[in-house]
Amino acid sequence: MRLLRTFLGFSLAATAVFGQFLNPAKLQQPATDTWPTYNGDYSGRRFSTLSKINSSNIDSLSLAWVYRIGAGAGTLGGAIKSTPLLVGGILYFTIPDHVWAVDARTGREVWQYEWKSKGGIHLGNRGVGIYEGWLYFETPDCHLVSLNLKDGKERWSKQVCDMDQYYYASVAPIVIKNHVLVGVSGDDLDIPGYLESRDPETGDLQWRWYTVPQKKGDPGSETWPNVDAMKHGGGMTWVPSTYDPELNLIYVGTGNPQPVIAGKARNGSDLFTESIVALDADTGKMVWYFQCSPHDTHDWDAVQTPVLFDGEIDGKPRKLLAQASRNGKFFVLDRTNGKNIVSSEFVKTNWAKGVDSRGQPIPNPAKEPQIDGALVSPNQGGAVNWPPPSFSPQTGLFYVNATRAFSEYYIFDTGDKPEGWGGNDRGGWGESMLQALDYKTGKICWSHKWEGSGIRSGVLSTAGNLVFAGDPSNNLVALNAKTGEPLWHANLGEAVSNGPMTYELDGAQYLVVGAGDTLYGFAMLSK
Amino acid sequence: MATTRRRCLLSIALVTAMAGCVTAQAPVARPPAAGSAKQQLPDAPGKETFQKICGSCHSAQIVLGRGMTREQWSELVSGMISRGAKGTQSQFAEVVDYLATNLPPKEGAAPAAGKALGGFTMGPDDKQIVDSAAAARGKALYSAQCVTCHGPLARGSDNGPDLVRSVTVLHDRYGSTIGPFLHQGHPAPGGTAGTSLTDEQIKDLSHFLHQQVDDTLRSGPYSKVLNVLTGDPKAGEAYFMGAGGCNACHSPTGDLAGVAAKYDPPTLQQRFLFPRTGGFNRGNATPPKPVTVTVTVAGGPAVSGVLDQIDDFNVSLRDASGEYRSWKRTPAVKVEKNDPYAAHAELLDKYTDKDIHDMVAYLETLK
Repeated sequence: MRLLRTFLGFSLAATAVFGQFLNPAKLQQPATDTWPTYNGDYSGRRFSTLSKINSSNIDSLSLAWVYRIGAGAGTLGGAIKSTPLLVGGILYFTIPDHVWAVDARTGREVWQYEWKSKGGIHLGNRGVGIYEGWLYFETPDCHLVSLNLKDGKERWSKQVCDMDQYYYASVAPIVIKNHVLVGVSGDDLDIPGYLESRDPETGDLQWRWYTVPQKKGDPGSETWPNVDAMKHGGGMTWVPSTYDPELNLIYVGTGNPQPVIAGKARNGSDLFTESIVALDADTGKMVWYFQCSPHDTHDWDAVQTPVLFDGEIDGKPRKLLAQASRNGKFFVLDRTNGKNIVSSEFVKTNWAKGVDSRGQPIPNPAKEPQIDGALVSPNQGGAVNWPPPSFSPQTGLFYVNATRAFSEYYIFDTGDKPEGWGGNDRGGWGESMLQALDYKTGKICWSHKWEGSGIRSGVLSTAGNLVFAGDPSNNLVALNAKTGEPLWHANLGEAVSNGPMTYELDGAQYLVVGAGDTLYGFAMLSK
Repeated sequence: MATTRRRCLLSIALVTAMAGCVTAQAPVARPPAAGSAKQQLPDAPGKETFQKICGSCHSAQIVLGRGMTREQWSELVSGMISRGAKGTQSQFAEVVDYLATNLPPKEGAAPAAGKALGGFTMGPDDKQIVDSAAAARGKALYSAQCVTCHGPLARGSDNGPDLVRSVTVLHDRYGSTIGPFLHQGHPAPGGTAGTSLTDEQIKDLSHFLHQQVDDTLRSGPYSKVLNVLTGDPKAGEAYFMGAGGCNACHSPTGDLAGVAAKYDPPTLQQRFLFPRTGGFNRGNATPPKPVTVTVTVAGGPAVSGVLDQIDDFNVSLRDASGEYRSWKRTPAVKVEKNDPYAAHAELLDKYTDKDIHDMVAYLETLK
């Protein structure tokens, strides 16, 4: 019943009924007074139709509030990597084991929740998912926790992975109809990745899709040497998926194969690791795939947001999907069937010999890790990591905060059956830049090179002809979306650590960004 | 300011920015946060640098409760640099010093077994702590009774499954699951089900198997560079004197005389590839040369110094007298940056892997 109710949507007149609840209809609209899901909407574009803050008045942007999570928090530490969700005038965000609700107008704390941890990797948490009056988030010790949106009281928790196998959880759940999508993390031992759908009321499992085949004869099993290798083949699902309601397809980026660096005992392309995969939202069945890095040995997860938009290719309207992948390649696909339209690169790389007939890169075996080292670009951190990109339908440009870096990749384990990592990369040199790509050609339209290197900030574009991104010097920078000219900045004293988001409340447009342990609310308070 | 900052940092245990400190003064009544009841970072020189460099991604939990050798901490920090950690070479060296001094290998425990590496290898809090003496006894048992089917590293063979990947082993604590498993139905070498192992022997075996799991993790003993001396020294010399253009700045009898005595081959390789970050805190590594900058305001004198920070909007430097200066970048302000290692960065697009291996072989001859 609930499924039907949610899917039909609600009229705008019903908004008042929801109060602090999430009106499901908001998930189908451009985010203005609501930011109901990790990327603002299901498309993953992180484009806002708001334009009260724009390229003509950005100089008047002022700091409205600051919320610091570190105060009194002992050894809490860590940075805000989550993108806050906005529902009913309240922002909801996380760091591992912690959730906060703060007033989106003032930054005042409404409630805080702490999960008592039993371990797991506390590297980052990407945020929450919301369904009606309930909030969902994942914990390093492998739990999906549901809280009451109103007061942060725990409703239930469900174990979604096994810490003993070195899984952990960090992704923001995505709520689609009555499905809570749950991904998993962890690549220390050789374990299979999966994406789960869980019931928003009970937390019970609805379906689970393994990213790697679990038995001989399963799709993709022909790309592994044996059952042991495929069952332990990795492919984590640690960045939120996107969704096309019309096609009812979920788009998932999958992580690196395992063993990570020493790939000797997993010869073959290792499907469906480092792939973009379309799944039926109700059954979790795979509809198509595109592999971004066949048989990768560099830890280049292809989890980066598969961004959905409609565009024109050769004069014809097309339903598209674009990804700027950690391996430095930029792909544009037809999202109805996964057919490749563009394969290019957004930074110069040195590891591929070209592309195959499907548009998938062909790795150069000489650039696999070697005992005496192989110089590879990008490095393990990647040309981009998890921070989200943005696509502006207004400029037709895809924006990604990129790094071009080199490192030396080594094999440490020379045995016949390396496990875990079996190697790693060392050292590095890099440079960073904000790239604006033309989706029709995959060519760089403009590139703004930052001074310094090393960035882990997401990107936001808006109808105000603006792109927001963090630079390597702790600045939040607003650039002209068409030209790449920097227009405004604020030095936050720490690097921007999440994807900036924006919303309008009471006629004022806000811009919210996390830098380290602090959330900053900027606003165009004057008219 | 420095005093205020230090007090502030100590009071909140893991903070990374000046901006943050300002709001940290007022005590906030709140339930104790995660980990507050656990160990705190040791107060020692370098703590602040550790917090600044590592704290933007990691909580203190990442390192607390672990112990590793200097070499292991150094490898770890090196790995973090390649993952995007930001800092100067001297800051990274300070971090390694701080960790190596304050978090050395633990008495009686295998160094860092299964616990370490940049917080990427945590596992559950109640994971088995391997007792190396028990593991050694377990190894003898394993070699006598298990190795034929499960292989020397317990990674399986045609005759028996992989035990490192076994969920029964991973769920085990001190024999809790492998004990019942072995007693109930495990085919013994003679073909009969069950086992005659005592509980103590099973516990020893458990320690051995968990040691194999820990060794497989990224912090394990396999995580080190093996042999990079595979090139041709003659070809390396030719590259040095010719295509590489290294002799424009360096000389085998001048600045590089005896360089091979100073660094091991993997460090040599890292240092010429990535002179700013490679092989920090190894041997008697000389600190990297700073980037310098010359700023000229239209009509005014040129001011030069060591670059402090530069972005699209501002530039700052410290001049020869130690004075700090900063400017807003405008069309009237000319900024010339000089990175003494720019030629090394340019080579990254030119080297073949053979060039690199030949160069290491050549540099290794400069004892």
